[in-house]
Amino acid sequence: MTLKIAPISSRTIWRYAATFVIVALSTGVAEIVYRFSHLLRLSSVFLAGVLVTAFWLGSGPAYFASVIAFLAFNFYILGGRTPLSFTSWESILTLAMFFIVAMLTGSLTGRVRDEAQKAMTRARATQALFDATRDFSASPDENFIHERLAYHLAAAARSGALVVTQQGTFASPDGLEPPPGLLSRALALAGEEGVGGVVTTLADGWSLRPLHADGVSLGVAAWRPHAGGQLAADEQTLLAILADAGAAAVARARLAAAKSNAEARARTEELRNALLSSISHDLRTPLAAIMASASSLQEFGETFDLATRRDLTATIQEESERMNAFVANLLNMTKLEAGALAVTRTRFGVQEVVDRTMRRQQLTHRRTVLEAAPFAELEASGDPVLFEQALGNVVENAIRYSPAGSTVRIACERADDEAVVRVTDEGPGVPSEDIGRIFDKFYRSPSVAATAGTGLGLSIARGFMEAMGGVVTAANRPKPERGLAVTLRLGLAPQ
Amino acid sequence: MSPMSNLQASEGPARLLLVDDESQIVRALTPALAAAGYSVEIAATGEAALSQMAGDPCDVVILDLGLPDMDGKEVIRRIREWSEAPIIVLSARDLESEKIAALDLGADDFVNKPVGVGELLARVRASLRGRERRFTAQASFKAGDLEISFPNRRVLVQDEEVRLTPREYDLLRTLARHAGRVVTHKQVITAVWGAEAQVDAQFVRVLVAQLRQKLELEPSAPRIVLTEPGVGYRLKADDA
Repeated sequence: MTLKIAPISSRTIWRYAATFVIVALSTGVAEIVYRFSHLLRLSSVFLAGVLVTAFWLGSGPAYFASVIAFLAFNFYILGGRTPLSFTSWESILTLAMFFIVAMLTGSLTGRVRDEAQKAMTRARATQALFDATRDFSASPDENFIHERLAYHLAAAARSGALVVTQQGTFASPDGLEPPPGLLSRALALAGEEGVGGVVTTLADGWSLRPLHADGVSLGVAAWRPHAGGQLAADEQTLLAILADAGAAAVARARLAAAKSNAEARARTEELRNALLSSISHDLRTPLAAIMASASSLQEFGETFDLATRRDLTATIQEESERMNAFVANLLNMTKLEAGALAVTRTRFGVQEVVDRTMRRQQLTHRRTVLEAAPFAELEASGDPVLFEQALGNVVENAIRYSPAGSTVRIACERADDEAVVRVTDEGPGVPSEDIGRIFDKFYRSPSVAATAGTGLGLSIARGFMEAMGGVVTAANRPKPERGLAVTLRLGLAPQ
Repeated sequence: MSPMSNLQASEGPARLLLVDDESQIVRALTPALAAAGYSVEIAATGEAALSQMAGDPCDVVILDLGLPDMDGKEVIRRIREWSEAPIIVLSARDLESEKIAALDLGADDFVNKPVGVGELLARVRASLRGRERRFTAQASFKAGDLEISFPNRRVLVQDEEVRLTPREYDLLRTLARHAGRVVTHKQVITAVWGAEAQVDAQFVRVLVAQLRQKLELEPSAPRIVLTEPGVGYRLKADDA
């Protein structure tokens, strides 16, 4: 460790030089007064000089001023020829009194000035700390804290500063580049044990202070030497406190990040469990119906009447189709995620697709309340298979989440150069703050929590529509109607 | 159980309450249950099931855990506040913890979806038999090669006496009382070590392994004491 202490800072030299100038000026004034009035009672002029020095430059220069003012005054009292030749008791007394008064005045005024100076430094330090801590708490981002710490350290050191991270990167607010070797030195220091709170000063004058919080090394704070020489003790303390506050802020940011990570993991876990339970439910329910129907037919087939047998075989067929649709959705989701979706772009009749979707959905859900408003013959450009699956998912969603016996309507119209298919239900709708999320994967509205579902259908519908260059949007129906309106838009086929 | 419902069971066909909100499951199960001689009531919600049990109690409840208005476990808890009617949980859920919770709340058995009607009917029969056993002090139990004589604590396999330690006997008796139905680890612990015991499920596994060594022809491929993975054990009953 190279510790270099400059015995007298340039600032001190400047202060004493200023003292000398002030006393010289006092002497000049005294000389002018002497020339005009030949008065020898010039002590007040010199005392004024001492006073000014004490007030401006503090107690040290004030004592210095007292001494040189005494010597100068001496010169006047004794006629300037033989300094310090004590010829009369009166002159000696005057000189002695002057010296004592000058020292006292200087000392008192200097002390007042020193106290004021200290109070001001303290206030500045407090303000700097306050600003820094407020800055640190503004963002949980570690890099931001590093940068603000470097900024505040630079202000406190009245020069430039850097914060070197554990990874060997550095933050500096004003584009300051570290001198060669500083980073490696800082990293070595950060790895050392028991150096927390110790300031290391390098040969080029840079000071390094490791950042520690709870025994964990968080990087190194570095500041450049101040042009005016050595920093005052209170400035060093401020730098140390700033560095500690910065380290604490970084530690807090890391804890917050770890916490939010853990929360995100828990949410993902919850989501995964919900998804698994949902998938197992959606696959097993049709499977259970198929198995029950098939095993019933096998065990009791002869005893059932024709209607019962037909009903059971119909159940097997419907549930197989439902399962197939669900598996198709899962596969599509995977394809969408993997970007492996093949999209063909052809001209197709919208009405035909809507009719087919309605037939199929009525069959699987035994819901005969689907209604289609009459609409014009429209030809859209896109992939009819994907469009049918997207529409099927939207209709399925409408049926699933609206009360039994309520009506699901499909309307189709032409708007500019788009075919617009709108599916409306009479269900609970979606809370308005969530309406933007219903196409998100796994999103499920809190109002339908009791109904089984994976939250995949609408997200797949959106994926398909977007893959074809189409759009799907949702809105709650305007009051007094209730329910959700989902709109699919697809470009018309060119004429 | 009130004497009233006992009477019902002995006079008319046993009545089942099927609680499931999936209409296709209800449609698929009802004909077979009816053909097997039961009269079947349907409830699509937990509330409907509770009001059916309160107004006109059924002899067995077949309950889906995922209901639209309340958790199936809540239905079990509320039925158990006053009724001892057997409850068979019909579950598509994949969580062992759910099954255990349902059984510990007082469900008698569970069946995983999908299930063939043959197995479901066997479980219904087992639960009805278990209910009868609670009210008739049977001195002996017989299923396949296994025979237990309760008054003198004798256990026979293929007419040969098997000597069991007191704990092994307590375990076997507990399983036999619930023959054909699942018994959870917790229920075994309560019956063998007492409700206050701080005993691990591992102890139960060791005890079951000991019992199998004495009862089973091939302990590694048990045919009498069956494992319900993650949940507990089931003693093979004659017709299940």
